[in-house]
Amino acid sequence: MKQQVSTEHKRVVLKRNLESYVFMLPNLVLFVVCSIYPIIWTLKYVFFQYGGIGTGNPKWVGLENLARVFRDEVYWKSVINTFIYGFGKVILIIPLAFFLALILVKQTKFNSFAQSMVFLPTIMSSAVMGLVFYLLFNAYNGEINQYLLNAGIISRPINWLGKEHAMKTLVITAIWGGVGNYMVYFIAGIQQVSKDALESAKIDGAGRLQTLWYITIPMMGPILKIILMLSITSAFNDITNVMVLTEGGPNNATMVMALYGYKYFFPVSASESVIPQYGYGAAVSVVSAVIAGAVTVIYLRLSRKLDDVY
Amino acid sequence: MEAEARSKKGSARAVGVCSVAFLVVMMVFTIYPILYTVFGSLKTNAELTSGGSFFPKEWQFQNYYQAFIQADFIKYTWNSVILAVSTMVLAVVTCALAGFILARRDFVGKKILLALYTSMMFISLGSVTLYPIYQLLQKLGLHKNIAGLIIALTGGQAVNVLLVMGFVKGVPKELDEAAIIDGCSIYGVFGRIILPIIKPILAVVALFVFRNTWNDYVTTLIMTISNKGMQTLTVAVVQLKYSVNAAAEWHIMLAGASIAIIPILIVYLLCNKQFIAGLTAGAVKG
Repeated sequence: MKQQVSTEHKRVVLKRNLESYVFMLPNLVLFVVCSIYPIIWTLKYVFFQYGGIGTGNPKWVGLENLARVFRDEVYWKSVINTFIYGFGKVILIIPLAFFLALILVKQTKFNSFAQSMVFLPTIMSSAVMGLVFYLLFNAYNGEINQYLLNAGIISRPINWLGKEHAMKTLVITAIWGGVGNYMVYFIAGIQQVSKDALESAKIDGAGRLQTLWYITIPMMGPILKIILMLSITSAFNDITNVMVLTEGGPNNATMVMALYGYKYFFPVSASESVIPQYGYGAAVSVVSAVIAGAVTVIYLRLSRKLDDVY
Repeated sequence: MEAEARSKKGSARAVGVCSVAFLVVMMVFTIYPILYTVFGSLKTNAELTSGGSFFPKEWQFQNYYQAFIQADFIKYTWNSVILAVSTMVLAVVTCALAGFILARRDFVGKKILLALYTSMMFISLGSVTLYPIYQLLQKLGLHKNIAGLIIALTGGQAVNVLLVMGFVKGVPKELDEAAIIDGCSIYGVFGRIILPIIKPILAVVALFVFRNTWNDYVTTLIMTISNKGMQTLTVAVVQLKYSVNAAAEWHIMLAGASIAIIPILIVYLLCNKQFIAGLTAGAVKG
């Protein structure tokens, strides 16, 4: 009798597990093919020299690829560029988005119109708009220089995509594409600040700026933490914009680490051809992922304070 | 006292003026490139490169004719639509199924799966992972096939699975239990009870997947290497930058860019509330 119950129980458990996997399977297949398998593949090829199908078998090289990454000056330049890009983007986009949110937080007709206008760039393809910016920022025929020249602000055309300014131009376009996102996050954050706190501040006679500084901003700590986190991690992954607008150039002035790894797999522009070095590219990408991960962990450590809401 | 009140009023006004000025500058900044694209697409190449007025002198609608016919944009538009819709459907169906079961059942391996899905938010190897995916599809004979492209574009969807899971967890379990007592199977619970309730979050997933596929550049570019006939608008437009007479084809580039952004603009006009609400649903949950 007992035996029977337990086999019956086993059958039910088996059935429940099978049912569960019927639900999981469609997504699981995609997840394994597109997420898990490529990671394992990349980790494996860190230790191989491999030029792709038709170039002979992958050759085991041990830690040689990783050692080469650490000697590769252009790679470390790209790491520094990534930090400059990320820092420039975050330091500008956060205050801009915050002020926009402060101004637009009240739900009026005009504000919701303004919100959708500022949010508009975030739904655009960064590749297509990268091409548009490429035309706009063109040194000789671009409309930006023409306006600046006509207005007398500059006397000679600025070479926006030249060595000196290309990184600034990239940051400008990144702000264009992202400020609406962060504005929406901030609006959500401001709306969560408790009405009671604001009310009592008002009763105590605090002015608008005082309320902002002493109540709203401190109370937004936890949400600010998430917003900063998102902006930092996304800065490490921006690649499309760089690819289309500057292709990492001129002379690696805007080469970021995500694009540097990519370069060993695929041509960055259609006018370029590459001899793939999959092993080395894999090593570059893994080191980059570790750097990005380390920054995230350090940030989370440092930002613990933001969780202390009064 | 009165003076203080007046100065307070004065400073409030100053803050107001600054706010409006700031807002106007930001709105011009965000809208200008889009208007430039649309108006520029109706100018001649000479007008574009010599710095004419903001609006076209004569509206050059033949730019669109050239883009659609000579640059083959009818085909690319069709590809974009097919791909955006297919990835959207595939993502919604798979995320709904997986998110539901992860929220409602314990099964062997669930803990490991959840850990893996969550870790995807922190591990980012970037676009190099496209190569192994491409190679795998090649082995399966799917690298020239639209099915392969749909798989690669849909991807693992880890974030969206977790998003749906979170939403299902917010639905009272008593609803499921009542249905089970009434004789519903797990499939019935999903189809009849949960699915109608989680429609809002599935709409968010659908909207964002549609947008991402429509706008995607790198994945589509790589996955269409061996079959350029599957390229989308986004990829095709950017490729114009590398065409031999790119310098003489700014008007075609902008017409192409407009063709690529106008559909998404229309989607945005129809559901901009959902876009904005969806963003916060995904990101700010804690």
